[in-house]
Amino acid sequence: MNFTLSLSGADLLLLLPEIFLTIWICMLLVVDAVPSRVSKRVIGKLSIAGLSATLVALFWFYINGKTGTLFNGMYVLDPMAIYFKIFIVASTILVVSMSIESVERFPAFRGEYYFLVLMSALGAMLMASANDLVSIFVTLEFTTFGFYILVAYLREDPKSNEAGLKFFILGAFTAGILAFGISLIYGATGKLILTDIAQVMGEPSVALIAGFLLLFAALGFKIGAVPLHAWIPDVYHGAPTPVTAFLSVAPKGAALAIMLRVFFVTLAGFTAEWIWLLVLVAIVSMTYGNIVAIAQSNMKRLLAYSGIAQIGNVVIGLAAASKMGGESIMFYLWAYLFANLGAFAVVIAVAHVINSEEIEDYSGLNRRSPFLAFAMLLFLLSLAGVPPLAGFIAKLYIFMAAMKAGLITLVVIGLVNVVISMYYYLIVVKKMYINEPTDPSPVTVSPTMTATISVAMAGTLILGIWPKPFLDWTVSATQIFSHLNIVTTTQSLTLPFGG
Amino acid sequence: MLEQTFAATQIGFPILSILIFLPLVGAMLIWMLKSDELLVRIAGIAVTGIELALTVWLLFAFKTHTAAMQFVEQVDWIPAIGVSYHLGIDGISVLFLGVTALLSLLTMLFSWDLAIEKIKGYVMALLALQATVMGILVSLDLVLFFVFWELMLIPSYFLIKLWGAGKIREHAALKYVLYTLTGSMLMLVGIIILDLNYQEVNGIHSFDLLALLTAPMSADKQLLVFLLLFFGFAAKAPIFPFHAWLADALVSGPVAVSVALAGIKLGTYGFIRFSIPLLPDASRALLVPLSVLSLVGIIYGAFVALAQSDLRRLLAFSSISHLGFVVLGLFTLNFHGLQGGLLQMINLAFTTAGLFFIAGFLYSRGLQDDLTRYGGLVTPMPALAGFFIVIGLASVGFPGTNGFVGEFLILLGAFKAHWAFGAVGVLGVILGLAYILWYYERAMLAPPQETVIRDHRGNERPVSTLRDLNPREWVIATSLTIMIFWIGLYPAPFFDMMDASVQAVVDRVDHSTRFAMSSVSREALP
Repeated sequence: MNFTLSLSGADLLLLLPEIFLTIWICMLLVVDAVPSRVSKRVIGKLSIAGLSATLVALFWFYINGKTGTLFNGMYVLDPMAIYFKIFIVASTILVVSMSIESVERFPAFRGEYYFLVLMSALGAMLMASANDLVSIFVTLEFTTFGFYILVAYLREDPKSNEAGLKFFILGAFTAGILAFGISLIYGATGKLILTDIAQVMGEPSVALIAGFLLLFAALGFKIGAVPLHAWIPDVYHGAPTPVTAFLSVAPKGAALAIMLRVFFVTLAGFTAEWIWLLVLVAIVSMTYGNIVAIAQSNMKRLLAYSGIAQIGNVVIGLAAASKMGGESIMFYLWAYLFANLGAFAVVIAVAHVINSEEIEDYSGLNRRSPFLAFAMLLFLLSLAGVPPLAGFIAKLYIFMAAMKAGLITLVVIGLVNVVISMYYYLIVVKKMYINEPTDPSPVTVSPTMTATISVAMAGTLILGIWPKPFLDWTVSATQIFSHLNIVTTTQSLTLPFGG
Repeated sequence: MLEQTFAATQIGFPILSILIFLPLVGAMLIWMLKSDELLVRIAGIAVTGIELALTVWLLFAFKTHTAAMQFVEQVDWIPAIGVSYHLGIDGISVLFLGVTALLSLLTMLFSWDLAIEKIKGYVMALLALQATVMGILVSLDLVLFFVFWELMLIPSYFLIKLWGAGKIREHAALKYVLYTLTGSMLMLVGIIILDLNYQEVNGIHSFDLLALLTAPMSADKQLLVFLLLFFGFAAKAPIFPFHAWLADALVSGPVAVSVALAGIKLGTYGFIRFSIPLLPDASRALLVPLSVLSLVGIIYGAFVALAQSDLRRLLAFSSISHLGFVVLGLFTLNFHGLQGGLLQMINLAFTTAGLFFIAGFLYSRGLQDDLTRYGGLVTPMPALAGFFIVIGLASVGFPGTNGFVGEFLILLGAFKAHWAFGAVGVLGVILGLAYILWYYERAMLAPPQETVIRDHRGNERPVSTLRDLNPREWVIATSLTIMIFWIGLYPAPFFDMMDASVQAVVDRVDHSTRFAMSSVSREALP
């Protein structure tokens, strides 16, 4: 392959948000290192400022319709990439703002925390643009690298160390799988760029199928879909809570961007072959996640299992294999972002005062902090999909997309799962509102946490009550999947599993 | 598409939105009030009072003898999937609004002097419940309807759980939520299929009832959607055999929730609002199984009610029996049956709710659940006993009361459908008389057995010192009794309101062959 790399100023402009963020991150590292001992809080605020500037740049890209490809098609900036970048940056802002106080309780390396979070966010942003197998590998590892350290950040805490080690070993293993898959696909097609592969793929050979299965396994690990979920509960439980929150949203979103490209672009001609795989993953993820969540006594573990189930819902949208499926996934991610980050923020705020994440200790939270209890109620109900919150519209959209693709059985299983999830969410609600607190002292919430939680609440409500602008944006960002519509409208409604 | 009269031209302001959001705004204002108990109670009565006044205004402005949708409001909500904020009422829904507004006010009045912990939350939850019920009744968009349908669970859940009295209230609240949630999830699938069917025909998404009515649908798809919707409505109603949550929720919840859940028949409202007009072929195809199911419900509910000694449990099972009558009437699919079924839903709102209020009066005097232990309660409380028997007889269809008109029409319709349905239905009426009279006899008239009542604090006092109704209770009981006799003796104004819409439903079921049948399974249907 002849590789000539030329970069013009206009090309570099497409990388502007990433370049800016890189410079900003380096600057943060310098500020942290100068001997004047700047308060770590300032670094947190600087991080938010940098991320906000990146967000503004991305919005500018979106409004002006800036698109293009770089590095011979390795890197693509299309409306979908911008959409996911905005998603990642928005989630990082929320994560950083909920971290600020937790960081002050860290034993060491307080400044580096922000550096690592932002590096991972940068990696995730690049993932959203990855358009060939090499850039998928590089950006994926780049993102995960920061997390290896972040998960094990509490050096004195054996749980955190254990989580870090588990995450590292499994992550490294996944990297191997991913590399192996890539080599198989490259070997079979001689192409790296996702759109090129689609063109040369005739009748898929065994090597190619194995390659894509390995690729799917590696991405499935990132989003934590059953049967690649085993790391999630322990890592979520052991990692510092803000890291858990970050881990549960940003990398999953970025990995889904890659999955959307792989399944809806590269493999668009083979929907009938892979739909059953995704249907199975969706069913198992939802059912396993929800049923195991019932038995949890720790809030973070409960959210971990509920996250597995939520990812099962997202995979339903993937299985729909249509533009609408893509739209529904991307909208779902926003609903998930606000509800999940909001719930973790409440967990952090509660843990700051009572130093516990056990569900039992949430008893009577309504007496101790009506604000936190109400926020948690809102987030849990949104995760369960109760109208008129964001989660309801998102679930409705996903189920509609799946029904349109003829996956009725899958939808019915999904809805049964909604009922199961409602059960354990209501158990938490009951603890907060009905049970008497063992210690009735009020739980005070700092202004930063109040602001973070309020933003998440506002997002959850606005997306539920007035989703039109978001949906319009989502619809316009998924134009690259328009070719999929033709396939689905011809399918009949009553087929049990489609395909 | 049905004719629509917009609110702007008819009454000049969006009255239906106001009916939905006024209680919510009221609840928010109350939340901001200082925790002055008296003020909170007054605010609750004020909001429900204004709501009732608005509803009465609406009832006067409502045009009779037309099937048109009135007071319509329509705004795009989620255009990407064809969801709109579409409100409107016709002869089918209009009376429910009046019933809801009246019962809400009476509930507030009833709660006036009860000692209630966290009164602020209680009043707020009641107002939220009223808002969601109003939303369910006026929504013409199925997603909007579903939103309110689901939202209703939240205030009811908290009301049962936080302000219930029974020992099993936590269990009951969860059971209620999970039962109805399972049903409504299946209903959601049905709603989506309706939309996708519309999209197949017209190329765009829509969840609008009036638009969906225009889309033809094959008979087998109709059957599927009907069953899916049926689970949702049947679990909420609840009709036999989906009733397992009802008795627990009604017995352990506060009286206010019992009144709302048993008084406002939302499940069966769903049948006449959505299932029958949208799926006429399926309705006809399922006429026999549904009639049989409702007859089983009538007899089963009545027999179980006979065996109860707890008044509220008896009312819960009598409610299942009554809902059997309603469903029997609706699914005769002829004019009298539908008219009777619809009127009976309104009737039951007064009678069932009235009996729950009576039960509430008795419990607020410290009497235990099992009234048959006492006997002779008529002596200390003659007025209460009088209202008890009047409302009780009305609930089982005694001539001269509203229940008679409703049940008579239902049985007339049932006989027209098949003589056997009518015959078994009549048996249900007799059993109804039996359980209510027998219970009344044991609790009120029989020679006194236990003469001391022990309330939950362990205080004891003799039965003879029980006081009779106070003025507020008089107001509640009298207003319900007036409605009972009004409908019983002069039902014409009510029929004027509903007749045209009922006729439209009948036409739709009759003529549906013209535009809704596919050639596929025409022969498969009876």
